[in-house]
Amino acid sequence: MNNFSWYNAKSIEDALTQVNSTASNEIYRQTEKAAILKAGGTDLLDLMKEGLLQPKTIVNIRELPGLDKIEFSNNDGLRVGANSTLAEIAAHEDIRKHYIAFAQAAGDAATPQLRNMATIGGNIAQRTRCWYFRSYDHPCFRKGGDRCFAKNGENENHAILNNGSCVSVHASSVSTALMAYDARVVIVNSKNETKEIPIADFFVAPGEDPLRETILEADEIITHIRLAKPASGTKAAYIKQGARESHDWSIADVAVVLEMNGKTCKRAAIALGAASPVPLRSMRAEGALAGNQITHEIALEAATLAMERARPLAKNGYKVPLFINLIQEAILNAS
Amino acid sequence: MDTRKEKFPYGIPDHNLTEIEREIPADEPPAWPVNDQLQEVGKRRIRVDARAKVTGEAKYTSDIRLPGMLYAKILTAKVPHASIRNINTQEAEKLPGVHAVHILRNEDNSYPDVKYVGQPVAAVAADSLDIARQATRMIQVDYLEKPFVIDVEQAMKPEAPLVFDAPIARQADGGDVGVVHDGSKGQGNLRGPSTSSFFGGPRGDLEAGFSQADVIVEQTYRTQVQTHVPLETHGVVIDWKPEGMTVYASTQSTKDVRDELADYFDLPKSRVRVICEFMGGGFGAKHSTSPYGPVAAILSQKTGRPVWLMLERKEEHLMAGNRPNSIHYLKIGAKKDGMLTAIQQRSHGTAGVALGAGVGRVAQILYECPNFATEQYDVLTFAGPGAAWRAPGNVQGAFGVEQAIDELAEKLNLNPLAYRDKIDQSEVRKVLRQRGAKQFDWSRWKPAGSSTGTIRKGLGVAQSTWPRFVDLDSTVEVKIYRDGAVEVRSGVQDIGTGTKTIMAQIVAEEFGLKTADVIVRIGDTIFPDAPGSGGSKVTGSITPPTRNAAYKAKMELFKQIAQQWQTDATKLVASNGMILHKDDASKKVSLKEALQRMRTGQITASASRSDDYGGFAQPWGLAHGHLGSVQFAEVTVNTDTGMVKVDRIVAAHSCGRPINLTQIESQINGGVIQGVSYALYEDRVMDEATGHMMNPDVDRYQIAYSMEIPAIEPIIVEEYPALSSTDAYGIGEPANIATAAAVANAVYNAIGMRMYEIPITPARILKALNHLDQ
Amino acid sequence: MKEDSNKSDTNGFTRRKFLRGAGITTAGSVLLNTGLLAADFHSAPETGIYMGPDAVTVQMQINGQMEHLTIEPRTTLATALRDHAGLTGTKVVCDRGSCSACTVWIDGKPVNSCMTLAIDVGGREVTTIEGLAPGGNLHPVQEAFIEHDASQCGYCTPGMIMTCAHLLKENPNPTLEDVKIATRGNLCRCGTYPHVFKATLAAADKMK
Repeated sequence: MNNFSWYNAKSIEDALTQVNSTASNEIYRQTEKAAILKAGGTDLLDLMKEGLLQPKTIVNIRELPGLDKIEFSNNDGLRVGANSTLAEIAAHEDIRKHYIAFAQAAGDAATPQLRNMATIGGNIAQRTRCWYFRSYDHPCFRKGGDRCFAKNGENENHAILNNGSCVSVHASSVSTALMAYDARVVIVNSKNETKEIPIADFFVAPGEDPLRETILEADEIITHIRLAKPASGTKAAYIKQGARESHDWSIADVAVVLEMNGKTCKRAAIALGAASPVPLRSMRAEGALAGNQITHEIALEAATLAMERARPLAKNGYKVPLFINLIQEAILNAS
Repeated sequence: MDTRKEKFPYGIPDHNLTEIEREIPADEPPAWPVNDQLQEVGKRRIRVDARAKVTGEAKYTSDIRLPGMLYAKILTAKVPHASIRNINTQEAEKLPGVHAVHILRNEDNSYPDVKYVGQPVAAVAADSLDIARQATRMIQVDYLEKPFVIDVEQAMKPEAPLVFDAPIARQADGGDVGVVHDGSKGQGNLRGPSTSSFFGGPRGDLEAGFSQADVIVEQTYRTQVQTHVPLETHGVVIDWKPEGMTVYASTQSTKDVRDELADYFDLPKSRVRVICEFMGGGFGAKHSTSPYGPVAAILSQKTGRPVWLMLERKEEHLMAGNRPNSIHYLKIGAKKDGMLTAIQQRSHGTAGVALGAGVGRVAQILYECPNFATEQYDVLTFAGPGAAWRAPGNVQGAFGVEQAIDELAEKLNLNPLAYRDKIDQSEVRKVLRQRGAKQFDWSRWKPAGSSTGTIRKGLGVAQSTWPRFVDLDSTVEVKIYRDGAVEVRSGVQDIGTGTKTIMAQIVAEEFGLKTADVIVRIGDTIFPDAPGSGGSKVTGSITPPTRNAAYKAKMELFKQIAQQWQTDATKLVASNGMILHKDDASKKVSLKEALQRMRTGQITASASRSDDYGGFAQPWGLAHGHLGSVQFAEVTVNTDTGMVKVDRIVAAHSCGRPINLTQIESQINGGVIQGVSYALYEDRVMDEATGHMMNPDVDRYQIAYSMEIPAIEPIIVEEYPALSSTDAYGIGEPANIATAAAVANAVYNAIGMRMYEIPITPARILKALNHLDQ
Repeated sequence: MKEDSNKSDTNGFTRRKFLRGAGITTAGSVLLNTGLLAADFHSAPETGIYMGPDAVTVQMQINGQMEHLTIEPRTTLATALRDHAGLTGTKVVCDRGSCSACTVWIDGKPVNSCMTLAIDVGGREVTTIEGLAPGGNLHPVQEAFIEHDASQCGYCTPGMIMTCAHLLKENPNPTLEDVKIATRGNLCRCGTYPHVFKATLAAADKMK
């Protein structure tokens, strides 16, 4: 890491006054005065140690008051401060009770040590783990380069859906669960304006802008994640598959939230992680479940529909049967 | 040489234990009885350095901090093949805190050609590692890039870019012993074949053998490149002063590092002192400090300061060694009764820019077979050099051979364990199979495909063999002090195997002390020379000198006591902290008091070891007989996710006379876990288009962690070959050879589809089960 | 475990510790060389202060001792411990948070010191392997690691022990599965896990 100045922000306003860029903006660049935010810092330090990022100033927001609270009420649902750690989320009783897929996804991410450090805000804003993106020596699309090295390269972990220009998958498996819960991301800017964005709109697909993965601008901070109170009869399941159980990036993960009326599924949300460059909801699969009783057959039908448009690359064809099996299992687990 | 005759325990207790008379050097100690009649040897004893390890007090090379010390960092090549036109270090040199920059050059001052990504190009010494890292990024290297090839099969083609256009010799890394890798034979990148080992060359007539066969298995097995990932990376701290060079090295061989650096800088060996008190893992790759050791020495010389140079994790993956991959063709024929008629073996593998990618000796010697031939080819590629890795070649070899034996058993309609009973001549493995099968309950085994549903269970077995190597240049010094201290000293290093502790146990046994009472000072070349930790040879090489030296020191002390008691020294025994007269109960003195009565302040005895009692199979130190291993694996395969989980391994092993049961179990656990990790997870992923390793970390380079650990049940079978004053041997390598094959056989048993390639990832299982093309 | 009363106030200092302790000596991560040290703790400034990029002297509570370390902002906690505080028991293995060899406790929770900036420690308390059992004693987990041969080369051992000791603090009655789950981030390349599991379970028994 090159040296940098350190600024301990005292308030959101203070932080947004000091900051002038985002980590994504600064990848591969050495802007004279780049000042960027740091919360838990785990992804930031990783990028910096690889030499991908060399900010001049780090504005620390980890200590900002109020951003580490987790609150639940029957009226407002869940409000998770952006600085809440994954460990705190995984252990939180209300989350475990009402949003089990979220708790599980947070608890399955990374290692116990990293979960004590990594924040939910940083988790959804982290950059892809595509090994070409993470390699300084591979100037890919996402770093402003002219190609995707993975497309015809080592792509066993890569996308099987929406894998056009860039075939990376999104790194945050927690986001898969948040997608299934229709979470909303609360963002405040330097003009003290607050906006609340559906999480699906928070992510930016490479086709829209290869250089970024979220809509976050330099003068914005995620303050909270909000999840509505689940309707009665809501059931959920989350399954993450890595190549190794101890800890691993997902090779496929699925979050299913079902609103059940007795044995009939009123509404389904099925989200897939590690399938495409941004976390994905499968409307086709959801449509197959809505209004139906959940059986093995219908679960398989939904799972198969979710993979209907899969276009595996040379080395990741295995992900198609894997997703079909995991989606089916998650639906059955939830119901 | 004066000799005497002595009777030794011989064979396997509770099986065929008997006595044998050996003619031994007169000054070597009397035969020990079997372990249950000893006090310290063969028992469970706490590691003598355990406290230092659990408190963080243990100082590894990476922990050495000397006054004025600088931190160094190596700049490595970013391209796989290039000549270097220019290196500009101006910016780096200007960075505050930078003290020296060194550029690697050929003898004629030109820049060496780059042959792989990760090859050292230059190095920086600075006040901190952060500054050194920053400075290396500021060095500009102007590469003239050239074509390269990464894939083994592509590299073999005549039109492939050449790694070297001249014959090369095997790089000596001290770790491998076995098949001769001849880089002068062959054409282009395809070097070899190696057709012989120290067990000889081809036997019989393959064609005739196959014509006698009733069943034949013919298959190709593939293994991946595995990197060592010792937790402490390779590295040194070098303090080069006019009077000499002091080297703290994370090494498996203090002796080799001293010789290497003395040779490199043309210094007398006495002017190079190498120290390795604690060492954070090596697994075969840490015999040499090339190329970073000389770099650190030069930086120390340039700056007049001590220089700390530990590789970073990425550099460790790229330049510090790996287990080469293998494409391993086997054709094995057998008669209806199961007896093998012919084994044909051909392998290709790449150790990158180095040689040594064979498949070992398993096919040659594990089972008797009159007709045998092997051709083992090295394929040079533009990738980091391979190095010895726990049973070099043989792990790859066993993965194929022990699956092929299972395939033969299936064709012959035989239980795989019963089939091995039939064709395996080894007495010790017979006992290992019996005891292992009982512990494992092998009677549960059913033919492949018996398990159905999503969660399928499978059982498998595989076995292996490892020679007993001895390094005769192994010397130990035992010092006893008037103040009561008993100390053992040697240059040998303890790489985590527990060498310090077994030396203490042996000295304690000889003096009638407790293991914890013995002071062990090793890992320093100011002490007598001792073996490198490779080939599982340390225990067999260092324990006899340890005992011999302790015995000599003890006899010197006994002589003095005997004089006082007016008796003969041979009448005295040391037991329980006392020196006693065998025949006269009234004559006794505590060891402590006896030491106080010594005529001199210290008695020092130094000893090496003789040739094996009864001689060697090869005069350079190859003992008769082998170390046996039989491993049983129980796995679960989830057909939905493709996940394989190894639930349980029963690992039955022999290592001569066991010295410390707990430490042996620890090493067996380690060998098994590394084998499981190799079978299921680890894989160096190379990007063929750019020549880069894509997972030079411990994140995407996947190793077994806690959740991947099976229940491991080690079985240690005592075996007394009556070959030395301790009869003890190592266990490092044997513990690692059979595991991947046992797991693969169990996976086949679970799903009825054989995995011919490791690692057996969810991707490979799902591909097989879903009949996917790719 | 949440300790709201122990959370940092807007100064980045731990008010409770400040009030409890003898003024500035218990405050963490204080800039000593800019004259700003005397910043009024009671009237919080609206904005923070810049530190670095050159080395600054910070105070840090390590193993119950207040240490003054002169470090650059880029210095990780692992480097600060090893190269500045002389505490080399904490090991750096992957330097990316994947192997947990560098595990230390911050305010009693295990974290990766290689992915933590030293300057970011603030008023929180750091516990390393050297401070796990002060006064030359051994923690029961350390004793059990010795007894059950839970280290081979020993390089993962400090991090492994910090992880296992934390588990027993949180869960005095762990099962084998609990120990495996707790150590799932700790890499041991020698493959000592079975003895680590055994030692941790034995330590739990002993601590009852």
